[in-house]
Amino acid sequence: MEQVAGDVGSFQVKVRKKARYVNENLCTGCGACAEKCPTMVVDVFNAGLGNRKAIYKYFPQGIPSVFTIDATACRQLGQGKKCGVCAKVCQAGAIDYEQKDTTVELDVGAVVLATGYEVFDPSVIPEYGYDRIANVVTALEFERLLSASGPTAGHLDRPSELALEREIEEAQKELKKLQRQVSQLEEKHGKPSSEIVRQFQSGGLGESEDLRKWALLAQDLSALDGRFQSMTHRKASASAARKLAFIQCVGSRDFRFNRFCSSYCCMHSVKEAMIAHEHDNGVSSSIFCMDLRAVGRGFEEYKLRGGKQANIRYVRGRVAEITEDEAQNPVIWYESTVSRQVVHETFDLVVLATACVPSAGTSDLARLLRLELDENGFFKTDPLAPLNTSRPGVFVCGCAQGPMDIPESVAQASSAAARAAEIVAPARQAVG
Amino acid sequence: MVSNDVLVIGGGIAGIQAALDLAEMGIQVHMVERLPSIGGKMAQLDKTFPTNDCAI
Amino acid sequence: MAEKIRIGVFVCDCGSNIAGYVDVKELAEYSRTLPNVVYVKENLYTCSESGINEIKAAIRQQNLNRVVVASCTPRTHEPLFRGTCEEAGLNPYLFEMVNIRDQCSWVHMQEREEGTNKAKDLIRMGVAKAALLEPQESIKSEMDPNALVMGGGISGMTAALALANRGYQVFLVEKQAQLGGLLLKLDKLAPSGADAAAFAASQAELVQKHPKIRLMTSTEVREISGYIGHFKVTAASGGNRDQFGVGVIIVATGAQVLKPHGLFGYNGKRVITQLELEDLFRKDAFSAGNVVMIQCAGARIEERKYCSRICCMVALKNAIQIKERSPGTGVRILYRDIQAYGTENEEIYRRAREMGVIFINYDVSNPPKVEEEKVTVAHQLLGRELDLPADLVVLSTPLVAGEDNEAISKLLRVSLDENKFFLEGHVKLKPLDFATDGVYLCGNAHYPATVREAISQALGAASRASIPLAKGVMTVEPIVSTLVDEDACRGCGLCVALCPYGALEIVRTEKGRKVRVIPVACKGCGVCAATCYQHALSINSYTDEQIGEQISACLEAQG
Repeated sequence: MEQVAGDVGSFQVKVRKKARYVNENLCTGCGACAEKCPTMVVDVFNAGLGNRKAIYKYFPQGIPSVFTIDATACRQLGQGKKCGVCAKVCQAGAIDYEQKDTTVELDVGAVVLATGYEVFDPSVIPEYGYDRIANVVTALEFERLLSASGPTAGHLDRPSELALEREIEEAQKELKKLQRQVSQLEEKHGKPSSEIVRQFQSGGLGESEDLRKWALLAQDLSALDGRFQSMTHRKASASAARKLAFIQCVGSRDFRFNRFCSSYCCMHSVKEAMIAHEHDNGVSSSIFCMDLRAVGRGFEEYKLRGGKQANIRYVRGRVAEITEDEAQNPVIWYESTVSRQVVHETFDLVVLATACVPSAGTSDLARLLRLELDENGFFKTDPLAPLNTSRPGVFVCGCAQGPMDIPESVAQASSAAARAAEIVAPARQAVG
Repeated sequence: MVSNDVLVIGGGIAGIQAALDLAEMGIQVHMVERLPSIGGKMAQLDKTFPTNDCAI
Repeated sequence: MAEKIRIGVFVCDCGSNIAGYVDVKELAEYSRTLPNVVYVKENLYTCSESGINEIKAAIRQQNLNRVVVASCTPRTHEPLFRGTCEEAGLNPYLFEMVNIRDQCSWVHMQEREEGTNKAKDLIRMGVAKAALLEPQESIKSEMDPNALVMGGGISGMTAALALANRGYQVFLVEKQAQLGGLLLKLDKLAPSGADAAAFAASQAELVQKHPKIRLMTSTEVREISGYIGHFKVTAASGGNRDQFGVGVIIVATGAQVLKPHGLFGYNGKRVITQLELEDLFRKDAFSAGNVVMIQCAGARIEERKYCSRICCMVALKNAIQIKERSPGTGVRILYRDIQAYGTENEEIYRRAREMGVIFINYDVSNPPKVEEEKVTVAHQLLGRELDLPADLVVLSTPLVAGEDNEAISKLLRVSLDENKFFLEGHVKLKPLDFATDGVYLCGNAHYPATVREAISQALGAASRASIPLAKGVMTVEPIVSTLVDEDACRGCGLCVALCPYGALEIVRTEKGRKVRVIPVACKGCGVCAATCYQHALSINSYTDEQIGEQISACLEAQG
């Protein structure tokens, strides 16, 4: 959105359409380009837990079903290197490196804001160690871990194990490289490396730079091999996450960050604990909360079912701190209201139920549209005219006006549609 | 000039529902989304409760 | 049949999406060997412009009279290919789709041979069915451009106004003599601070003055027949009966407050409900030195498991009211969870705390006891019993389903949940629609809601209801139930009882009692055809013969 003029009934809006570098009319979404693209990028859709290519579809079922080039990551576009692989493999001829941003001008009678929300970044809460402790994740990251289309295909691998896997992969590559170099040298000199290393260590290798390099290389190889062995050993003994903790109100109902309640996180955590248990019946979960707000149809019943059938324990209390033990297990410290003592408990994985906060562009958009925000930074509405913003003809629905769950967002979307329709289609079909 | 079109900003579940309702009433809708795909946060969810239905 | 069947089969590579995992060349070759197949083409993308043109050209040049596309899912692509057939002059229902992507290439990525064999089976079945397909014409039906709104509370009034403002005639039926519903019993609204009765009156005035709204108070809906576009409604007021036709119906009949007889010593005097407290406020008759409020009085217990969503906010609002009226009065709220979800509600909670309202958590297994002049509660954190002084005890009771809900659900053939609230079509994606077309719901009839939520839902229900009204004509896919053998039908009514959409009725004909299908209401689910032991009913494009042929083809060994 670049510019808005006019008034209710007739707004003139300028929108910048970002270049995709792919012709939408030609792209068939087949994916040959992404298969061959040489550049890996961290995948935002999978909450940073996996990788994607520089030419990508935001998610497999994404609509429109066309690909987009991430210009900053792309070799050809962002880094000025010669690549052009995607253009070569695209049978539809849809790749267009020359595509530019364009401006679209729209004339509309009403505007519906459905700009949603953003997830609170928990790394600003020092005591929860989100950026320090590998096995502390956000609810959305956990959602991707649970998903069959996510980075672990739905298997509850711990992030520490995923990191280990990546390390092992890299070590394996390096190992192969060193092995190749060392065996070439062995062949060339017709001697085993062990002999050279022994000579080198006892100082009897002489002046030859070549042999010295060989000895160092061989030493590196054996050190790396040792590390590799211990890592694979660690990986072999690693097991999937089974003892889970959910911490509610992370960034919500906390005067340091956001005063408000984020509405949906209690049920989100119950659901995630239920699904985790569905994936693996050995999973047990503890949900740490102040109040467990299960306020919709069937919510309380769902919560109780979770307790009875899915090994969910509801613990009243605010978690004070999360630490990490030597096996990379998160340890939760809290005051038990039952024993009235500070206790600690070790878990495999901790999930932070992070707050729902106004999306990044909200204040810019508010300035552009001349709209008021509420004290929390969401678009301000009137409790008795709940879709109205402070400007006539502009309506807001869903989490852009405050945290709410999916059915409420869907219901509000229809309501906003009704209000917009009253403006642009008054007394349409009036003939009775 | 009075316009009979509506602009919907945001292509998450709320934006999609609002746009669909309007379009089905016969109203021309323009949808603007920041990301390459519509679907919003709900597409990132695995399943939804209480039915545990797939979110996509 | 005189016409010779000429089937064209189009096998889609979907780039590498299908071709990467199953042998499409082999599928194309195999398709040529199938009976009635006269033309086979493999496309890189059948859905692309060139693929579509190839289908059209083949229909014309090869005189195809049936088309089979083996590609992806009919959910996304069947309308496109049907349209293609129609543009080439072929009835769109002479088209059959075979899903070799979701069911073969996607699920058998690692098993090329098995995946390919399964695709062959599916194509053979599709071709077998295609040979028996018959042309169908889509069903059109005019809409009655009127709406019925049941209930004249804030939800009903809001919905009626929204529809009337768009130009549709609305019949608003309210059982009571006065518009306003529950609002009439409340004092102030939170967080706006507006006077509830005054707000109700202002909306009621808009309703009464609106030329497009016909208001019928002290009136009950007695009978509803028909289906979307053509509901026939009979309403009764006193001895008078009135009949009118509407295209859509919005249910906004609200809920009722539980009277907590037998709970916590409720007596309507010293132990009262929140609603009765608000009545004291309105009469300016409130006076108490110490008030104790007990949350979940009759809710979240074994016999009534659900949380009524709004009672915590009602308690917070009234606690603040007490503190504003009489700052010296002690207010203690005994709660299980404070359900102040969202931004506004949490803000009210915070204000109540700031004003000195004391919150004490209790456990359901050890609930508070109301005694003379005091309430005792087991304090969770202190680990002992506390005696709280109380000259007034206020119980926060849940909203329970309206007493007429069962009768209304039968009239409309819509579902109730286990607590007798009305049940929406889909919990996430259709919160305001019923499963039955043309009927919508909002407000407390659906589930307890704040005034803000009720208004929002009412506008949403009006939006949903206005969609068919705006279209003016209903166009329905002809894949519906058909009485194919009238003589066989015995008018037993088994199918009528089982039809989830109210799309069947028993009528008297010259030949006796027979079933009649209402095609516009039918969704083609097939329950009736599967139930009819006389095989009198059948679903178009899914006849017993067609499905039987498909099954036979499946059981045939591959050639």
